[in-house]
Amino acid sequence: MQNNASTARMGFSSSLKHFVKASPARMALILAALLFLITVLINPNGLNPTAIGSIILMTTLLAISAAGQTMVLISGGIDFGVGSVMSAAAILTTYTMNGQNGHFVQVLVMALLMGAAIGAMNGICVVKIGLPPMIVTMAISNIVTRLQYVFTQGSPSGYASPLFVKSVTARIGGVIPFIVFYAMLIFPLVLFVINRTRFGKQMYMVGNNRVAARLTGVRVNRIVILTYVFSGLLSSFAGMLGAAYMNTARCQIFDDYAFTSLVAVIVGGTSFSGGIGTFGGTIAGALLMTVLSNALTTLALSQPLRNILNGVIVVLLLILYNRSKSVRQ
Amino acid sequence: MNGIRSSYLRFRKTPAFTGFILFLISIVLNTVIQGFASGNALAFFNPNALSTLITSNAPFILVTMAQSLLLISGTLDMSIGIQIALVNVVCIMIPQELGAPVEVGWLCAILAAVAASLLSGFGCAVLRLPPLLVGYAMTFIIKGVNVLVMDIPQGKVPKAYWKPYQSPLFGFLPVALLIILLVFCAWLYLKRTKFGRYIYAVGGNPRNAFAAGINPVKVQIQAFVLKGVITGIAGICLTLMTASGNPLQAEDYGLRSLSACILGGLGFGGWGSMSCAVFGAGFFVVIQNTVYYLFTLLPKIIPGFAVTSYWQNMVSDVILLLGLFMTIVTAKAQRETLKQGLVKQFRRGEKYAK
Repeated sequence: MQNNASTARMGFSSSLKHFVKASPARMALILAALLFLITVLINPNGLNPTAIGSIILMTTLLAISAAGQTMVLISGGIDFGVGSVMSAAAILTTYTMNGQNGHFVQVLVMALLMGAAIGAMNGICVVKIGLPPMIVTMAISNIVTRLQYVFTQGSPSGYASPLFVKSVTARIGGVIPFIVFYAMLIFPLVLFVINRTRFGKQMYMVGNNRVAARLTGVRVNRIVILTYVFSGLLSSFAGMLGAAYMNTARCQIFDDYAFTSLVAVIVGGTSFSGGIGTFGGTIAGALLMTVLSNALTTLALSQPLRNILNGVIVVLLLILYNRSKSVRQ
Repeated sequence: MNGIRSSYLRFRKTPAFTGFILFLISIVLNTVIQGFASGNALAFFNPNALSTLITSNAPFILVTMAQSLLLISGTLDMSIGIQIALVNVVCIMIPQELGAPVEVGWLCAILAAVAASLLSGFGCAVLRLPPLLVGYAMTFIIKGVNVLVMDIPQGKVPKAYWKPYQSPLFGFLPVALLIILLVFCAWLYLKRTKFGRYIYAVGGNPRNAFAAGINPVKVQIQAFVLKGVITGIAGICLTLMTASGNPLQAEDYGLRSLSACILGGLGFGGWGSMSCAVFGAGFFVVIQNTVYYLFTLLPKIIPGFAVTSYWQNMVSDVILLLGLFMTIVTAKAQRETLKQGLVKQFRRGEKYAK
């Protein structure tokens, strides 16, 4: 009762802020539901099993690619290499499989190795150069993108194997795609790493206060590098699944995911400045981003307008979560 | 003799020294490799080749100078690259669609650059958001606007305009060099005015500047406006150089100019000057040129060695990363300040407010 009164006394914007900050995941879920409702009201055809199935599929894909990003952000960094690693993994997958079954393990090992290598490179450069992670990871992701062109001469070849494609896109009862089985494998693993291991706890400590973490004996550099390695691993796996979904690959096919995964993580309540965040929130954020993209497609918004909207969304998120104090305070 | 020695010692203490040394090294490297590639030891100093090099890289050098202005005042703008494309688009589309004279198009283009800069300045200074991420968001927004105005690469500039720009004055003096010198002289004047001192004060410590009676928000916004004007000039140079329009070019100039500034010895806030930016950008340009000649030289030495343009793109990106690596060596003296300043660009949570 008292709580309500104090909420009423606060201004609208601060009470909104309070509500958003109390549980960003809940907020993201409410927004996603509202958006989906609006989309269905505008275009009733949107409510069919195929559409819902593809929303589930895209959400899972985005959540897997954003899982590593969540860890990186919790430890106080940022990874702009998610998109380029996904594209590279997708190209590797279609090239190696070349439309034939039986290469799955080979592809898995190669893609994961590549992701881990790029992630380790990101982490080591961030730690050793000491420049902001955003600049370093952007520079490295540019190189990864260029490498895609160098190796494929601009036009990647091959297809994902039919069995692999089926294991991702086939639907249970025409609604739920098989990709949820991959998710059932990955999500508990990520949740376990973040919430139940020593590494996870130390990650939060490093994000909260790097100096204090070092003074309590946490090996900060190792933790930071490991978060980038996890990000590389998870995004390369997401790239493989994405290759199965798209069937073919081209250069820079998943570059959007660098942006989408970042926004999904932040909408899910992980803070830019580190130390706060959950993977559950990220999944909710991924759902919101997927529903938003679905709504924009329904509205037939053109690509430039989408770009403008994306920029505005980032600015709004920054205003909501990441303003610094005025010099006067 | 003594005079030279003491002025050398004085120069050694300026921020531009490391950048200057790097620049010299790159020129020596370029002279050697280009000499081997073309069989003429002094090919690099051929006036024609040199003026082409300066003319085609003038936009990048100008952009780096604009970026340095922001770095001195303690912020930065990553969207500066795509802003050049915006200038390019406006320069082409206003004469083409509205039939206005080309000069009006240029004026509108500079105004557009100032408006875009003001918008990111508003986000950074007034709303107090982290500049790196504001730049990221602005890149999306400006990209969208560019494509809305001009959907595919098109348009051309009358020959009467691009011909004088691309042909050097008196056979050796590139017009682009004159423009760069003009901007630099404007900076030299500005540095001595009240505004110049304010920029350094705000960059050094906004809180102290505020206590001393300077309005940090106003000074940063003014810096953004100036940056917009220089960006506009850079965009016009780009338009005259390519003589056509492309809505999605030069996006990587943002990252590149930042890396060039840091290489040139600019620290965050109150340290360094525009000459750092000139040397840093010069280093980048000359090294790119060297790589180009290296790739023409290698097939001559190693038979059967062939490269595609994809390789050149990749090597230039690797150089960008190596440039970031170099900051470990170059910015040793200002390393801590640089690090802290950069972290401020990225995190602006309450924890990090000074």
